[in-house]
Amino acid sequence: MKKYLYVVKTQIIKSLTYEFNVYGNIVMQTIIMITSAYFWRALYQGRGMVGDVDADSMLTYVVMSSLLSVLLITNVERRIQMSVEKGTVATDLMKPINIFGVYFAEDIGNITALLFQNVLPILLIGSLMIKIPVIADIRDLSLFVISAFVSFLINWLIAALFGMIAFSAVNINALIQVKKHLLRLLSGSIIPIWFFPAGISKILESLPFVYIYQLPLSIYIGRGDRTQYLSQMRIQFVWLVILLGAFFFAQSRVTRKVLVQGG
Amino acid sequence: MRKACRELIHYLDVTVHMFKMAVMTVIEYPSNIAGWLISNPLQFIMGFAIIKFVVESFGEINGWNYGQLAFLYGLSVISHALSMIFFVQGWFMGYYVMEGDFDRYLTRPLGVMYQFFFTNINIVGITDLIPGVLVFIYGCVKSGVTVNLLFIVQIIVTLIGATLIRGGIYILLGSTSFHTRSAVDFGQYTQEIMDKTTMYPMSMYPESMQFILTYLIPIGWISFYPAASFLGINSRYAGMMIPFITLAVGVLVMLAAGAYFNMGLRKYESAGN
Amino acid sequence: MIDVQNLCKDYVLKAKEPGLRGAIRGLVRPEHKKIHAVSDLSFHIDDGEIVGFIGPNGAGKSTTIKMMSGILTPTKGCVLIDGRDISKHRKEVVRNIGVVFGQRSQLNWDLRLGESFELLKHIYQINQSDYDRTIDDLDSILGIREIIDKPVRQMSLGQRMKGDLVASMLHSPGVLFLDEPTIGLDVSAKYALRKFIKEINKTRRTTVILTTHDLGDIQELCERLIIINNGVMMEDGRLSEIVDRIAPYKTLVVEYYDESAPEHDRCEMTEHSGNVAKYRFIKNEVTAAEIIADLSRIKTIKDVSIEEAGIDDIIKIAYGQSG
Repeated sequence: MKKYLYVVKTQIIKSLTYEFNVYGNIVMQTIIMITSAYFWRALYQGRGMVGDVDADSMLTYVVMSSLLSVLLITNVERRIQMSVEKGTVATDLMKPINIFGVYFAEDIGNITALLFQNVLPILLIGSLMIKIPVIADIRDLSLFVISAFVSFLINWLIAALFGMIAFSAVNINALIQVKKHLLRLLSGSIIPIWFFPAGISKILESLPFVYIYQLPLSIYIGRGDRTQYLSQMRIQFVWLVILLGAFFFAQSRVTRKVLVQGG
Repeated sequence: MRKACRELIHYLDVTVHMFKMAVMTVIEYPSNIAGWLISNPLQFIMGFAIIKFVVESFGEINGWNYGQLAFLYGLSVISHALSMIFFVQGWFMGYYVMEGDFDRYLTRPLGVMYQFFFTNINIVGITDLIPGVLVFIYGCVKSGVTVNLLFIVQIIVTLIGATLIRGGIYILLGSTSFHTRSAVDFGQYTQEIMDKTTMYPMSMYPESMQFILTYLIPIGWISFYPAASFLGINSRYAGMMIPFITLAVGVLVMLAAGAYFNMGLRKYESAGN
Repeated sequence: MIDVQNLCKDYVLKAKEPGLRGAIRGLVRPEHKKIHAVSDLSFHIDDGEIVGFIGPNGAGKSTTIKMMSGILTPTKGCVLIDGRDISKHRKEVVRNIGVVFGQRSQLNWDLRLGESFELLKHIYQINQSDYDRTIDDLDSILGIREIIDKPVRQMSLGQRMKGDLVASMLHSPGVLFLDEPTIGLDVSAKYALRKFIKEINKTRRTTVILTTHDLGDIQELCERLIIINNGVMMEDGRLSEIVDRIAPYKTLVVEYYDESAPEHDRCEMTEHSGNVAKYRFIKNEVTAAEIIADLSRIKTIKDVSIEEAGIDDIIKIAYGQSG
């Protein structure tokens, strides 16, 4: 366990040393956030509730979405691709520590660093320029935190599973883009699913993606009641278990395949 | 004058050949383009679907109806695709220089900038171009614009200008790596921001933002002002001249980008490697 | 011909100070250090010469070559190729030079070799008959037609070097620059490269300028040597002259019957291991015969041989000297 903590620490230091990276990231995120806020404000001009939410709630959604996006940055699929390209796959898999554990720890380290660097400035700017993202019902805070945490896990697992595709196809750059876009679209980070036509949103709700952004954010802005939250969180948890299973299954198959073929 | 003509013919000749080579490279590695063939059109179709969903929920966006939005969207995607084909390398300019790739360009009897962009033509950008053209044609039909020779000329002029504006912005951003020497992957972010501001009517944003997008970072001229003119929608700037203004803005942005690039290059040279 | 006049290249570096305080100071009020990579270099090269630039790493060789080939602009001074300043008229002057970078190929990685040549044909506006003739010519020296259909990424280092050599000569330049061309090549590839350079120099009177660390290159190719260290010219002249000037000695290798070896006041013992001792003496001051005679009077000699001063000696001296 200690070795993983060490990886986390090193990654935090690494992230902090690229200052321009940090500032650039913050600037970009805030611009996107502000643009989204204006977008929704313009849409809601002179309208009350659309899709069961009002303009105010959507603004909170936008700010919290930007903050949440920090949690959902993963590098694991890129690291896998690099290790395939550079040919270090076999040696990586043979190391005495689980390489995926290392990737996980790295991502956690990265996110921890980002939490301190990015979250505060973005929160500040968002509160000043858009609105302070107050949670709709403080009693739901624990639910929000739990579902956000599960979101992070689901997101990471999907990324890791995706990365493993790299073991069979060498160049997955395009696929990473597809995944990124699909994820952003289907998870409700661009536009919440409840604006989609009924048939499509029903289909999307059976996929794990909605449970990454939309669920925790819905809880936060108070769209729906607690029983709905709990039942959706139950589905979220089921997806977590499914993905965990798929992940371990894929990992053992991939490890076996790589070690047999010799990378 | 004759010398300039000969130079131009020389550049055109080399350009044609570079295109051939870019196509040959794609044929050499078909799997490279296969991924993007799926991913890029998908991205734009989804973006377009979002507009549809939003319009269905909200009626219209800032007074623009569905057909007009399709026109705007299509126009924006086409210039995006063109900028991806010719100028996407602008994001990475600093790196190429630091890696020493530019040294080779200096030993050849052609402009350095030209070589940089045209040796690396990104034919894959065609995967963006096709959906863009389709959506644009759909938009033309749905919004009922009159398509005549004048219209086509204006569209071409607009697209050239818009592509130059986008390319110029990429180069400006890419040249920052001379000053920062770090790995900033701002390409994705720039994309997102430009998407949001070119694919939706700029008039829906507050005045301050419109001011910035008109005079400071001239994104508004990429698709909004031209589209508003073609569709006959009232906006701050409208009329027949708009496409030419877009072209002029494009040239200006490119010149500024070139100057900034040269500044960075000189600074880089003087600090050694 | 090439004229290099008072060539200087300075770099301004931000001094990096240690520790947190140093880092903050570096941000707020940075100290700048000026580095003179190349200082006041002047020389003249006639058509058809083969000149070698040698010097330790960081001496300024690459910087000088880059300024001569138009890649870097000098801080002061100028480089004139056939009377024209290369930094002022880059595009025209460059038509007459070819450059080969040892570490970086100009060939298109993904396609067959011939495609890279075709592109250069268009870039340098070579007409078809000249192009064909040049390829035939270079094929007789390097056998390039054998590999012209091979994708560059599948080539060995030696084949790629051949490709780069042909690519650099397609437009029949009057001057060819080569920056560390033999790095990483095996013996046969090095041989092919040297043969190539000698051929084009002989048949086309191409002026060849190369930087190298390889002693074999210098020995085989360079009639003239320019030694650069710390950005300053140390030596410029024919190999034999330089040897005579800075390493005018020979070494006498004497084998005795046991491990003791006498000293001699007219020469310096540079090595003594086992029964063998090496004595270094200055050619003009004393002859080997005299030393052998003196030594044999003191102690019986088993065997004797004489080593000439060579390139390694100049290298050692030139690289060791500070400017």
